[in-house]
Amino acid sequence: MLSKFLKKSIWVFHLNTGSCNACDIEILDVLTPYFDAERFGVKLVASPRHADAILLTGPVTYESLPKVIKAIEAVPRPRVLIVMGSCGVGGGIWHDTYNTIGGIDGLKKILDERGVKVDYIYYVPGCPVRPEAIIYAIGLIKGLVEKKATAKIKKAES
Amino acid sequence: MKKLDFLKILVIATETGRVTRKYPYEPPLVSNEFRGKIEIDEKKCIGCGACVIACPPNALELKIEKNILILKYFVGRCIFCWRCVDVCPVKAIRGTSDFELATDNISDLNEAVIHDRNECIECRGNYSTVKQKQYVIEKSPITENYVSKCPDCRRNGFINSIQRRKGGVYAE
Amino acid sequence: MNSSNKTNILEKYREIAESYKGSFSYIKDTVLITVDKNALRDIAETIYWKMDCYHRTCVGVDETPLNGYLALYHIFGDDKNGLNIIVKTITELKNPVIPSIRDIVPAADWCELEAHDLLGIVFENRDLYRLVLPPYWPRDIYPLRKNIPYNYRPEVVYSSERISESTETAVVPIGPYHPALHEPEYFELFVEGEKIVDVKYRGFHVHRGIEKLGESRTTYQQINFLAERICGICGFVHAVCYSQAVEKAANIHVPERARFIRSIALEIERLHSHLLWIGVAAHILGYDTGFMHSWRIRESIMLIAELLTGSRKTYGINLIGGVRRDIDENKIKKVLETLDYVEKDFKKLIDIITSVPEITRRIKDTGVLPKEDARKLSVVGPVARASGLDRDIRRDLPYAAYEYVDFNVPVYDSGDNLARFKVRVDEVFESISIIRQLLSNLPKGPVLNNEFEIPEYKIGVSLVEAPRGEDVHFVITGRGKPYRWRVRAPTYNNIPALKVMLQGCTLADAPLTIASIDPCFSCTDRIVIIDEKGFRRSILLNPFNRKCDLK
Repeated sequence: MLSKFLKKSIWVFHLNTGSCNACDIEILDVLTPYFDAERFGVKLVASPRHADAILLTGPVTYESLPKVIKAIEAVPRPRVLIVMGSCGVGGGIWHDTYNTIGGIDGLKKILDERGVKVDYIYYVPGCPVRPEAIIYAIGLIKGLVEKKATAKIKKAES
Repeated sequence: MKKLDFLKILVIATETGRVTRKYPYEPPLVSNEFRGKIEIDEKKCIGCGACVIACPPNALELKIEKNILILKYFVGRCIFCWRCVDVCPVKAIRGTSDFELATDNISDLNEAVIHDRNECIECRGNYSTVKQKQYVIEKSPITENYVSKCPDCRRNGFINSIQRRKGGVYAE
Repeated sequence: MNSSNKTNILEKYREIAESYKGSFSYIKDTVLITVDKNALRDIAETIYWKMDCYHRTCVGVDETPLNGYLALYHIFGDDKNGLNIIVKTITELKNPVIPSIRDIVPAADWCELEAHDLLGIVFENRDLYRLVLPPYWPRDIYPLRKNIPYNYRPEVVYSSERISESTETAVVPIGPYHPALHEPEYFELFVEGEKIVDVKYRGFHVHRGIEKLGESRTTYQQINFLAERICGICGFVHAVCYSQAVEKAANIHVPERARFIRSIALEIERLHSHLLWIGVAAHILGYDTGFMHSWRIRESIMLIAELLTGSRKTYGINLIGGVRRDIDENKIKKVLETLDYVEKDFKKLIDIITSVPEITRRIKDTGVLPKEDARKLSVVGPVARASGLDRDIRRDLPYAAYEYVDFNVPVYDSGDNLARFKVRVDEVFESISIIRQLLSNLPKGPVLNNEFEIPEYKIGVSLVEAPRGEDVHFVITGRGKPYRWRVRAPTYNNIPALKVMLQGCTLADAPLTIASIDPCFSCTDRIVIIDEKGFRRSILLNPFNRKCDLK
């Protein structure tokens, strides 16, 4: 669905909300010769106003919360948020400590209260996220690969 | 000529050649030792909850509703440490090297295994799971009558039998 | 060192303890001295200057459920004799006041502020300001006290700081989100022309509540996985250090083969961290070719890490009592082949990088740290070895399998950026030779010891040499989970040295100087005050000067 709007290259802005840096070094690794995300036209930009998508890592801490909201507000519509890693998607190992909001769940509630709308959200699990998993997510956005994860409910037989 | 030594980098670059892998059109550079997603085998799982206690970020959870017990696995919070694979007593959890898990709908990342619970022959309350009772009876068949009751009834039955033997009075 | 030497040194410490009316006890390589709080400043001066020890960290512990007091432990280190010296004082809960030793031991500045923020201990004769928690956190909630649960989140109004105003100098704000930074940190540089006059810095965006989590929801074995995620680049170091501290406190035996495997994984981590730093330094100087080639070589090391442990980073193979995975013959052959290739390629690359004119001119004679300042501030790691201090924990207090290998420790005297670069390059070649020695001498046997019991309320201190310096973990055991766990990351002691290094720096040299100490802010989350003129000004963290703006 999104591939209708973004037929050309996607420019991303890297937003670190308090992570341990493992996912961030893997983002830098995607630009190096073995994986080379620039084949797809992906580039890291300096300002959120130039970006199409935001790469969010880390559980959102209290200290960085007002700055994260300002950065997300500065991205022009349509806003795409790519949430990376166990910390972003579910809050990680510290999903209920005193200084964190708990990942994308808590952040969505706060953004809705303030009236900041996000159009598409993509979730990429992993700890840390492999560079190939990041390329798979970009392929999913552009329509090059099919989604593989599905919900399963199984019944235990006696 | 010493000043132009840094041009030797061109020699290194041509010797190495091109190292980029054309993923996703080519297989990725991953070994079979890689720790990826886990798979729960519903034929072997007995619903004991050992994996739930060992999981550091609480990605595996047990939810109890009247006569069913649900083991929930949320892939989004998993840290791929494989501690659950280590501690399962019946080896029902198996690790794979799957890492292509990106999605745009967060409910795709939930998996569940549903168990039936037992019914106590005395008080008709629910306790434990059918498969765990079968597992205990297989290991020691002499306990079949004992484990057909729920823990509260077992406790009361034991106290009453001591009271009858010693001839004392059990103060309520 | 032989045993007669050791008994002499222990006798000296016993005399010092008795001269200040304190109690003395020791076990293996840790000495515990308990004194009254009025004697704290004198005994700190004796140990730090007369006995020539370094200061490692200080820990505040809430012991109210046990004996009704708040306790403070200062940990000093005697590297020449291989000992840790712990000095303990106690104070009451109703009015917790302890004298500060910041003017005698400058390295103890931030640990005292942290104990004040998280536990509520008030230090006399110094200014106190908010260090670890965000500025809008309520004033009387101390998260590390035992009566506050770990998942208590107060109702707050979020606000961010406004740039302070100044009329004489121009202010350049950098961060928290900036293309040159990988982590959120906030700098305000005050410049006059091209020279930096003052710097303000606000950190702690990465404080996640790890120490409190380790005392409440997690069990002993789960903390290994929690400790690995303190930092993504040097994570295995924290896991090994924690399990060594618990093994020392509870006297658990670790099999020989497990110790060798731990050392091999630690050295592989050192290789990948130094190659990462060389790439980032080349990128900051504008030489992107060096960045790409250096990370291309680093990729082969990530492949052998994945082969041996199962993951590219955050290895996850460490447990209390040993490791989870074993190494077999095919893997050893592959690792040795890869190391040969890396050594040859890396040597060619370094010869080229050091002959590029833009690098040699900018990296020499900038960011100088003289030896006396390095000794006063107790700096650690390659920063210390580049300023003439000969400190390496792998040689002075050996742990894991380092007593079975030979290696050199590179020390340079000039203290500038070039010396720090050369120390790291030499360490890469030393690490490759250490891994070869370990792989050829692997003993046979089991890799995990599952039968042990952990008694309550015992103290354990352990140290490990991370790629950035020495890492200290302090554990007091409890029932099923630790009673108190304290982590002091290596960059914590190195950041005060930036104040000295940036004096007289131009704006263009500042990023390289800051990157040359290899800062890892997620390990530390601390505050830096850098001042040009040499006197300490604590303007940044004074809450009266900051104007908060709502929304």
